[in-house]
Amino acid sequence: MTIKEAVVGTGGTAGGTVPNGTPPARQGVGQRIRGQAWKVLTARESSLAGVVIVLVIFLSFASPYFMTVGNLTVVGRQIALALIISVGMTFVILIGGIDLSVGSTVALVSVLTGQLMVTSGLPPALAVILALIGGTLVGLVNGTINAFVGIPSFVVTLGMLAVARGLALGTTGGSTISGFPAAFLYLGQGSFLGIPIPVWIAVVIAFAAHFVLTRTTFGRHIYFVGSNEEAAKLSGIRVRRVKIAVFMISASLASVSGILETARLSVGQPAAGNGYELLAIGAAVIGGASLFGGVGGILGTALGTSLLLLIQNALILLGISAYWQQVFSGVIIVAAVALNMWRRGRR
Amino acid sequence: MESLIAMKGVVKRYPGVIALRDVSLSVRPGEVMALVGENGAGKSTLLKVLAGAVQADEGTIEVNGTVVQISSPRDSQASGIAVIYQELNLANDLSVAENIYVGREPRTRFGTVDFKAMDRGATELLTGLGISISPRDLVGDLNIALRQMVEIAKALLVDARVVVMDEPTSSLTEEEVDTLLTLVRRLRSNGVSVIYVSHRMREIYEIADRITVMRDGAVVGVCEAAETAPGEVIQMMVGRELDDLYGVRSKPVDYSVPAALEVRGLSSGALLHDVSFSVQPGEILVLAGLIGAGRSDAALTIFGATKRSGGEILVDQKALALRNPSEAMAAGIGFVPEDRKQQGLFLGLSVRENISSASLPSISRLSFVSRRRDRDLAKRLAGDLSLRQSAVEVAAGTLSGGNQQKVVLARWLARKPRTLILDEPTRGVDVGAKAEIYRLIRTIADEGVAVVVISSELTEVLGIADRILVMREGYGVGELAVASASETRIMAMATGLEGEQS
Repeated sequence: MTIKEAVVGTGGTAGGTVPNGTPPARQGVGQRIRGQAWKVLTARESSLAGVVIVLVIFLSFASPYFMTVGNLTVVGRQIALALIISVGMTFVILIGGIDLSVGSTVALVSVLTGQLMVTSGLPPALAVILALIGGTLVGLVNGTINAFVGIPSFVVTLGMLAVARGLALGTTGGSTISGFPAAFLYLGQGSFLGIPIPVWIAVVIAFAAHFVLTRTTFGRHIYFVGSNEEAAKLSGIRVRRVKIAVFMISASLASVSGILETARLSVGQPAAGNGYELLAIGAAVIGGASLFGGVGGILGTALGTSLLLLIQNALILLGISAYWQQVFSGVIIVAAVALNMWRRGRR
Repeated sequence: MESLIAMKGVVKRYPGVIALRDVSLSVRPGEVMALVGENGAGKSTLLKVLAGAVQADEGTIEVNGTVVQISSPRDSQASGIAVIYQELNLANDLSVAENIYVGREPRTRFGTVDFKAMDRGATELLTGLGISISPRDLVGDLNIALRQMVEIAKALLVDARVVVMDEPTSSLTEEEVDTLLTLVRRLRSNGVSVIYVSHRMREIYEIADRITVMRDGAVVGVCEAAETAPGEVIQMMVGRELDDLYGVRSKPVDYSVPAALEVRGLSSGALLHDVSFSVQPGEILVLAGLIGAGRSDAALTIFGATKRSGGEILVDQKALALRNPSEAMAAGIGFVPEDRKQQGLFLGLSVRENISSASLPSISRLSFVSRRRDRDLAKRLAGDLSLRQSAVEVAAGTLSGGNQQKVVLARWLARKPRTLILDEPTRGVDVGAKAEIYRLIRTIADEGVAVVVISSELTEVLGIADRILVMREGYGVGELAVASASETRIMAMATGLEGEQS
């Protein structure tokens, strides 16, 4: 006897069995396209995309400067640098954690790049690789303490926020490092096919991250751990390994952003990346990620990052003082989460 | 004698189930009334009605002869009823006195909390109960028994006339049990009535004046403790007919082949001591016993989720380390945990993702998950378990209890395990789905899988088992072939009336 017979024998009490031999109704092509279109429209990200588009349209009418090459290049670079960090933050938030140390990691890597490339005179490529490794170690420490000692990631990375920033300030005595070779600065300031290099890098990273999260076993494991850690453990998933890997991803992406930022500004500075953690968390949360883990995605985070930075740009173009920007950002973050909760509650 | 508290004709319906059918219960002043029954007999619901946590659909509650309306915990307290749950309601970081006076803190003239008066009052109460702890001790530093005393003192502060205790001794040591029983006697001599819910016959016979027996949501008897033998009480608790809910074994278990899984002297911390058993391919072994008897701990230890402190686990006669769940899975063991929502399901993720969660390597290449194979796997298993195939993309949390359990089962069947451990597989599942799950278990065993089922429902134990291991307080206390087992016998072993610790 097979399992199927056993169950059908009881009369299929639960969940109504599909009668055998009835093929699923064939859908017309048009119907299928309409179905797909409907899926896209009702997706979590679509309303956010709508807001971003409306904002872009509004800005291109409200300010003559918005749609200029100069402004778009600046905004594009800013979005790219923030997006790289936000992508890493999304990984951490998906497992139900938080990484407050990304801003400090940017500073540490910025300083480290300067020391290796300018002070020690290493070849640019080698210096960049070593700085990336150094930054990734921050994540290894975060993840190991979180996974093995069991201290909540909020506390671990809060400590690391201070430690990494302190290292950056301590090793430089608080001063900046300049004198980078032109080849390195091209990373942050150059363009390819008219589009800034950081934008290319951010796009590649975002696509790769999206692919990892949606198509690989590792991506699945991240959602499992975030959705129910105990069940993940009892499904044979090595929860600790996943946690450590995720914190390393977050730190390494913060490092990439730190290197690009250094190249963009031509200085290694210990004050770099101040407050980036809040921007990244805000972007992920606006994009629909749940701080309890298990819910979220790269598309949402990308839209969230764009929204936050476009609004910043808008306030500048409309001549509103920079001091007020934070008020707007804060209100938008809370409003977006409230909207998400309301949508979820309705379903 | 006049009743202090009387429940009359209480009915409580839940969707699809009647939890209480026309239940009447009366307790005299200064009486200890034991309330006994199998798991699921309706005791907890009855307590919740008394506590005001749920409202009865029909029936009345009288206190001192006047009908009272209990629609909230506040009403219950005001009527002089104090319910002490298994899970204590104390703030561990606050002192004993602060816990006793929580929400009723005495004030000084300046409106601040009068700690002196609080300490005085608490000391008075505690001495009255014969307990020598300081009111300034932190509750977190006390053992469980003393915490229960604090909870009782809290009840007495509000002049409770009826104290209801829900399995108060389930986590106590022998010595602590004695302290608690002494306290219960003291309460009785002060004229307080006690409703004492327990499984443990020895305790019940030590302190109860009368015993109310519940079964299937109804009271099946009230007896004087002094005039009734424990065996009769157990008979009343379990007396039921078996039906053909459980399916029939189609071929006999082959005991000549080596065991699929054998554990010898399995121990884990304070929860599990020297437990040994084995399961044949195609056999269903049921671990029976009361909640907290260490059965789930045995399962978790075998599965590598809880650290093993002694003994060995042999799979196909080879001793294996099984340090974590993935090693146990590699050895062909599957585990359906007790608490679907906390341990089993990814509630927010789709049924498809839940089903393939333990089989990702088999549907991926170079760690890229094949969407097609993922979908096919989910559809095939959903079909096998008669889950709606269109439901594979909905979130697992939206399914009914029975269908959720099927999703967890599907996850393990997808791996084709050689040993499958199921912890309370039919808890919170309606009757129709129960029958399906029993047949599934039977089918899985018929296909040669060694099955270990943990169950607290005696009819279920007898219905599906080939062999039964009864556990009590972390020990295996005896093994029974299903032919020689009866509900009475299992209950007697599980409650400690019969059988010595092995």
